[in-house]
Amino acid sequence: MLKRTLATILLSALSATAFADYPDKPITVVVGYSPGGGTDVLARVVGKYLEKALGDDASVVVKNQPGAGGQIGFTSVAEAKPDGYTLGTFNLPAALALTFDRHAAYDADSFDYIANVVHDPNTIVVSRNSPYHSLDELIEAAKAKPGSLSVALASLGGNDHFSALLMEAAAGVDFNLIPFEGASMARTTLMGGHVAVGTMALSQTVGFEDDLRVLAVLDDQRSSYAPDVPTAKEQGYDVEMGSYRGFVAPKGLPDALESRLEAAFRHLADNPDLRRELAAQGNSLDIVVGEDYRRLAEAQSDIAGDLWKHQPWK
Amino acid sequence: MYGNLIDALPAVLSLGNILAVVVGVIAGICVGALPGLSATMAISVLIPFTFGMDPLVALGMMAGIYNGAMYGGSIPAVLLRIPGTPAAVATSFDGYPMAQQGRGGYALQVAVVSSALGGIASALVLMLLAPPLAKVTLLFGPTEIFWVAVFGMSAIVFLLGGDIIKGLISAAFGVFVSLIGVDTITGYERYTFGHLELLDGINIVVLLVGLYALPPAIGLLEEVRDFDTKNTGRLNTTSIWKAIPGMLKYWKTWLRSSVIGVFVGILPGAGGSMAAFLSYNEARRASKNPDDWGKGEPEGVAASETSNNADTAAALIPALTLGIPGTAVAAVMLGGLLIHGLQPGPMLFRDNPEIVFGFMWQFLFAAILLIFLGGALATNSFAQVLRLPRPLLGAIIIALVFIGVYSINNRMFDVYLMLGFGLIGYFMDKLKFPLPPVVLGLILGGFAEQNLRLALRIGGGDWSILASSPTAKVLIAMVLLVIVSPLVSRRLRARKASKVAG
Repeated sequence: MLKRTLATILLSALSATAFADYPDKPITVVVGYSPGGGTDVLARVVGKYLEKALGDDASVVVKNQPGAGGQIGFTSVAEAKPDGYTLGTFNLPAALALTFDRHAAYDADSFDYIANVVHDPNTIVVSRNSPYHSLDELIEAAKAKPGSLSVALASLGGNDHFSALLMEAAAGVDFNLIPFEGASMARTTLMGGHVAVGTMALSQTVGFEDDLRVLAVLDDQRSSYAPDVPTAKEQGYDVEMGSYRGFVAPKGLPDALESRLEAAFRHLADNPDLRRELAAQGNSLDIVVGEDYRRLAEAQSDIAGDLWKHQPWK
Repeated sequence: MYGNLIDALPAVLSLGNILAVVVGVIAGICVGALPGLSATMAISVLIPFTFGMDPLVALGMMAGIYNGAMYGGSIPAVLLRIPGTPAAVATSFDGYPMAQQGRGGYALQVAVVSSALGGIASALVLMLLAPPLAKVTLLFGPTEIFWVAVFGMSAIVFLLGGDIIKGLISAAFGVFVSLIGVDTITGYERYTFGHLELLDGINIVVLLVGLYALPPAIGLLEEVRDFDTKNTGRLNTTSIWKAIPGMLKYWKTWLRSSVIGVFVGILPGAGGSMAAFLSYNEARRASKNPDDWGKGEPEGVAASETSNNADTAAALIPALTLGIPGTAVAAVMLGGLLIHGLQPGPMLFRDNPEIVFGFMWQFLFAAILLIFLGGALATNSFAQVLRLPRPLLGAIIIALVFIGVYSINNRMFDVYLMLGFGLIGYFMDKLKFPLPPVVLGLILGGFAEQNLRLALRIGGGDWSILASSPTAKVLIAMVLLVIVSPLVSRRLRARKASKVAG
């Protein structure tokens, strides 16, 4: 008994010193998308600031494991050793939504949630030449011809898709959903007048103000990027959807490390340089740490699960 | 706007920025020339380092790599029949026969001059016409892109080769490969057998390396006999400056292929291989001696190399103005821009003119530098590689290919897949099945299928949407013209022949 206690004390003392040195080797951030993509660039930018926030010559390395809509990367994070040296970028609701529509080796409980970094609300958007000037006009047109108003989506089963499904449910209409390969293809077909409406994320409309007209932001408040655009809620449709990008660790991260990492991210929340750098990419900083982040993820998972039950997307 | 163009010039001409382009071109030629390594990979490797760099230095290197690699791919295509990049497949049709006839040096000179001219044309178009051409891109929705794919397929029937049945089997195999993965429209998984790695479909580089690089590399291993290494190391070339006047007769091909390359470049999602195939075919149709093509016609090399370089800067037009990365390389380059806070879109030209226009200048300089660096230095040094004993060369290529394929997605799965395709390619080669239809089936088949279904979905299942826009009608007319004109000309020729006989 005594031996065991001693061993435990010794071990914890050892590990405590081990944590004190953390990080004594590079921290790998697994990105489930290709180099140069939005999530990859985010990981590299945040990684740079995270190094400074952690101090002690910390170094953060990005490792791209693209494929299956990010699933290969998410899975590899979930299955990594929870030693604080493997983190991963985490995209909500996509990462958890895909666990409903296909087999996945992880679920919402497979991770320790460190911090969300960016929140990007979806929109309802039309081309500048479109006859629709408000959400009501659009919904009326959709009611007049059920199933014929074409809506461009960035992909199947992502936040663009969920925005359209939630909008259908809230307004009691039927759209004609067209999943493209990527947000920029969806945007281009919308600008070219080949489809009528888009549900792309707000960041995708930044820089295209001359060509697009955003009718509504699907968030609980107006965005600083488009202060003149009303939310859907203001226009009488209770729809909120957006994408969240943050950082998770494999489940079972020692508490000491978790709080160390969370503190580092909290530190980033009021970093003006990071805010400016993200703003240049059309992203708004929205740091949500630890337990709050877990609740956010679970809520997003529930929304996706609910949609899957009532309006399965495939 | 053109004032901005001039304003951007001084910064580009600074020593550091010029040096970046030079280094980029050399690096690009090298990765292009090594089978399995690609411009996409080189730029991806560069991305993390660009954080600390001045944007123009980083972008200059990228422009150099992109242009250099497009030419570099032709070096092994000519010398070994192994296209270094997907876009160099059409270059090997005539380049390799030329090398076998001892004219490999001349083939490479034609390739480098054509690449440079295509690149220059493309850069000028990017500099002068980017915003208006972006409007052209907007005309192409799913319906129109579907017709472009059909046009591509009907124009390229000649690639089926002598044996039509074998050609069709090859093409069908390519289309089959394009089906693998999640159907992006309904979400159904097709032929994935539960492998996550197959959900996104098969990366064209994996297929291409398996089919095109492995069988010739194995062929090199089979050549164990000693051979004369003294003469093969020399390509028997005259100086490139003496060779250029003799090439001026290709001006029509250069012009036509540049136009085709630029056009394919501004189409969303087409890419350099399609440009090379299309322009090779058009040049052959326009030629007086189409029967010599495929047997060592320098004009074939000129056509394919001009247009795959003409695609490079043009592909940046939709990338910079609309954020659509037409090719894998353009996608990575967009990331490079994003890292420096440069968001693609119409605002890019207004908010950061000095960087955007500087980047365009760098494309122009990279294309011009190709003649000096590619023509004078690289071509001769790569020819030395041929002096290696063949089995050693084969082994080196196989090792490179493994590294290259692994690094696409950082996984072994792709390497195994590539080996599988290598086995298929080896037997196709031995059984004389043509390989180009496989590539076309993969590129155009997938392209046509997806866009046809998107178009029909937008039209609510009504087929008349396929002929609803003026652009679509023009494309349909072009397809009909391509299909009908050979029939008519054959009929006319037959009548003339019977008249002469009678």
